[in-house]
Formats: sequence, C-alpha cells, structure tokens
Amino acid sequence: MLVLSRKVNENIVIDGRIVVKVVRTEGNFVKLGIEAPANVPVHRQEIYDEIQKNNQSALSAGRPPTSRLPGKKPARPDSKPGNSSP
Amino acid sequence: MKTVEANETENLTVRKENIITFPLGLLGFEGVKQYVLLANPEEKPFLWLQMLDQSTQGFVVISPSSAAPDYAPDISQQDVEFLGIKGPGDAIVLNIVTLHPNGEATVNLKGPIVINRYTLVGKQVIPANVQSFSLRHPLAPLPVAA
Repeated sequence: MLVLSRKVNENIVIDGRIVVKVVRTEGNFVKLGIEAPANVPVHRQEIYDEIQKNNQSALSAGRPPTSRLPGKKPARPDSKPGNSSP
Repeated sequence: MKTVEANETENLTVRKENIITFPLGLLGFEGVKQYVLLANPEEKPFLWLQMLDQSTQGFVVISPSSAAPDYAPDISQQDVEFLGIKGPGDAIVLNIVTLHPNGEATVNLKGPIVINRYTLVGKQVIPANVQSFSLRHPLAPLPVAA
C-alpha cells in the first residue's frame, strides 16, 4: 500500500486520470472528493463488504425444496386455483 | 455434456445454454467462475443459480421485475463494456434471495447480477445509485391459494 500524507486541498492522482481531493478534515473524519471518468465505479469499501457478507449468508448448500420458497407452500386440498403469480 | 448431481437422487444434465460464466466470480466467491441457471416452473419466479464446481451450493435468485417493479439500477459504463451489453434488452438482471430461518425472504438490490443474454457472461455489479437500494428488500409473500 502506498501511504501518502496530504493536507486539506491537496490531491492525489491515480493512473493519470483519477483525482482524489482532500476536501475537509475534522477530527477522525475526512471528506474526500473523487474525480474519475464516468466509466470508473467509485464506492465506499463497506458496500463491497456488505454485498460479500450478504452473498455468504444467502448461499444455500443445496437447492431448497420448492415448499421453502416464499408463497410456494402446498395449497390446502379445498383451495381454489386461480390466484395469479407474478 | 457434463452431468451434475443436484442432490442424492437427481442427476442433472447440464446444457451449455444454461451455463453462465462469471469471469470475476461473485463477491466473496471469486474462485467460482461457472454457474448453471435452473428453472422449475413450479418455483416461478424463483430460479436456482448453482455452482458448477462439484458442489451443490448455489443461490436462489429472482428477476427484480417480480420483487421490485420500479428497480432501476444505474449500471456503470465499465460494467456495460465488460459485459459487452449494447442496450437494456441484452441484459438479464437477477438478484440474490436470502431465505431467512423464520420463513421470510429478502432480496439484495444493492448487488444485482447482470448477464449478457447472448454470451452468457455475467457479473455481480454495484450500480452507481447503490445508495437508493436495500441489501435486504423484503419479498412480499406471493399469493397462495386460499
């Protein structure tokens, strides 16, 4: 990891085309401005972590039985057909 | 043709038109690059995305048109180019469902899976407007015959 010290209003340039600006600092809090081409996604790391964790908890060891899926419990014997499903 | 055991009693024949390739895997599962997408008409609108790696692990997925009709993820240009998508019609969007122990289900709208329907190449993307969406969007119970 490259560690650079910056003062407020100083910038870092990545790959010659992505600029990270230090906009403001306040205690432990840093406000950063990112200038990047529109085709370059920029996200807080927490987003990646959240989605990764969500994937991990969603993973099923095997294909769930149909009855486990929402709305797919077997109908009662006296039920009427005809409710539309999405 | 490859054969994949889905469970102890069922042998699936996997056809190449069901195989989706994820060059980057899925977030947290970067090592698994190939999945098979299976549909059982009785389970509609749910689909099963199974890892093609000798395991039976996979994800229940759903098309967002069922779960969140107004869902409009803003896919980054980089992802569009990665997938070779020329227009919205080229893309299949699927979202991962979590089946919770209490019987409820939620769907991840922050990290949709986008697949080029012609090349069957896919990626789990983070849309530019990710902040507008929920990681655990509740799935309303589907109508059950009364």
